[in-house]
Amino acid sequence: MRLLEFQAKRIFSEHGILVPKNVLLESSIDLENLPYPVVLKAQVPVGGRGKAGVIKTVSDANEAAAVLDELLNSRIRGNLVRAVLAEKKVEVQKELYLAILIDKLARLPVIMASAAGGIDIEQVAGESSERIVKKHIDPSIGLSDYTVHYLAKRIGVEEHLRDFAKLARSLFDIFQSYDGTLVEINPLAVTANGLIALDAKIVLDDKAGYRHGDLFGKLKAEQTWPGKDGRSRSEELAEEKGITYVPLGGDVGMISDGAGTGMLTLDLIQDAGGEAANFCELGGFGGKESMQQALEVVLANPRVKVLLISLIGGLTRMDEVADGIAAYLEGHELAVPLVVRMCGTQEEAGRARLQAVGIKALDDLQAAIRTAVETARRS
Amino acid sequence: MTILVHESTRVLVQGITGRVGSFQTKVMREYGTKIVAGVTPGKGGTMVDGIPVYDLVEDALCEHEVDVALSFVPARFAKDAAIEAIESRIHVVVLTTGGIPDRDVLTLLNYATIKGIRVLGPDTPGVVSPGKCKAGVHPDRVLKQGHVGVVSKSGALSYEVCKLLTEHSIGQSTIVGIGGGPLWGLTQREVLEMFESDPDTKLVVMLGEVGGTMEHEAAVFIEQHITKPVISLIVGRTAPTGARMGHAGAIIEGEGETAESKISALRKAGSLIARDPAEILSRIQALGV
Repeated sequence: MRLLEFQAKRIFSEHGILVPKNVLLESSIDLENLPYPVVLKAQVPVGGRGKAGVIKTVSDANEAAAVLDELLNSRIRGNLVRAVLAEKKVEVQKELYLAILIDKLARLPVIMASAAGGIDIEQVAGESSERIVKKHIDPSIGLSDYTVHYLAKRIGVEEHLRDFAKLARSLFDIFQSYDGTLVEINPLAVTANGLIALDAKIVLDDKAGYRHGDLFGKLKAEQTWPGKDGRSRSEELAEEKGITYVPLGGDVGMISDGAGTGMLTLDLIQDAGGEAANFCELGGFGGKESMQQALEVVLANPRVKVLLISLIGGLTRMDEVADGIAAYLEGHELAVPLVVRMCGTQEEAGRARLQAVGIKALDDLQAAIRTAVETARRS
Repeated sequence: MTILVHESTRVLVQGITGRVGSFQTKVMREYGTKIVAGVTPGKGGTMVDGIPVYDLVEDALCEHEVDVALSFVPARFAKDAAIEAIESRIHVVVLTTGGIPDRDVLTLLNYATIKGIRVLGPDTPGVVSPGKCKAGVHPDRVLKQGHVGVVSKSGALSYEVCKLLTEHSIGQSTIVGIGGGPLWGLTQREVLEMFESDPDTKLVVMLGEVGGTMEHEAAVFIEQHITKPVISLIVGRTAPTGARMGHAGAIIEGEGETAESKISALRKAGSLIARDPAEILSRIQALGV
């Protein structure tokens, strides 16, 4: 889960990292008492907001109202803006970059810093990667003093070493204690009053939610506006039921019991001249219930003209997912044709159960895909 | 002599009394795998399908010799179970469980490195040398003994490819699933290295997907060290940038993580490229292995 800026900044503040004074606005009323000039920032979980023109400085309430009217309820790369963060403008001497994330190849957290902070950090990373300094952090050792000193020296903030060390430690604390997969400050401003985080990005590991009480649930609730965020019924249902679902825009609905085979199926649908409506997979332990839920999710999309279920079971048992399909059919009238490809663990039992509800499962993936694509074309 | 598992490999199953563990244990035994013991804390002294169950790995090791620990332990307890197996110095630890928090995976992988233990997964179907030993959940009908080594990020994709090969009488030496998550133990590069020195393997099929940059690392290794033919298939050609395609690892975050960039790196490194499983089959047939 990627937190919105205002949530990440709240966590930063709680851990002693300085952020500009701010207030969250969900409408354009009560703008008189803001400490102008202020920066208005659309709260959407996407990068490059500066370039997208959704971060704007205003000098009085009239200007603020105009910008809010423009930003609120607008859409930025598919994300509806439901709130805007208003921040006191800060006088910046220099913009830095600081982040902690997981280095997948080294299998260690890595802390990265650069003197070239700001909106072009991706470009810096690509074109002059030597301007970004990196050090791995062994969690059993923690963030060493020398590592902090090394980074400070290389990015030229030695005169703020104490501030920088405190900030880097807080960032690593947040990364560890919240089960973060990424914590990032870009830009980190050098100001007359010390180091201030002008932006804040935190990505949490959803898999670790269970050990944080209701924290992840609360953060999630804070960034969703039910029924108003412009998502499709399928996406809302998928979120609610915890089903992996990616809308794709075509008309061939797809459910698979594995991610790799699901991606292969999408590739083959396109090769066969069809267009997939979605990606949806059950994951290794998918059983009866998750199949029923996946059917509800995918069939809630009115654009689907045919549904292709692509199954090859290892951990997933075909008898159990067949039960899920049968149970769904008991409770629902199918509006579109169904093509099932089934093989793998317990496939005989699975096929027999489908046969009992009038479905003949295919064994060959290519044949199933051809059938589905042709069915969509004809209807 | 296949890689990782062979005729005499003895397997211990962690989480053997659970719904998934007990079912898959039965299937593996029917396949001929030598499962010598199971472990579930609190269930010591019971039996599953004729296999003795112990409370602790150490209790099991007092009675049995074990080469591979295969875990079906649920995500919340998976780290602890893995650490127990690693500390007991079982040489290969296979983690089928998906959804283990990244921080736990980092901890157990680093511990395994210190102890010199190989970890397969997490989120892996396991490893099978057809006709010899199956320490995993692969459906039996897709397997046939032979000389094609398969290394795959995704379990189901390896079943898909092996099904087609088996239906056309092309057998496999060993099929290794390295795990679908964002973090994993044994890498594609390490498995390629094992296949290169395995006399039973004549060519290697490498199955990858979008997300991560691991195939670039593998490409460099192929170019420098692999003399056997390698055929690669990368799925997710049609996946949109930024969307998480099921596997926590399958998300395109940068240039190098697209199917296109991986395919071009592998081609440049001398790997043959297949667009789909049917092309893998035709390329193997053309090579005459």
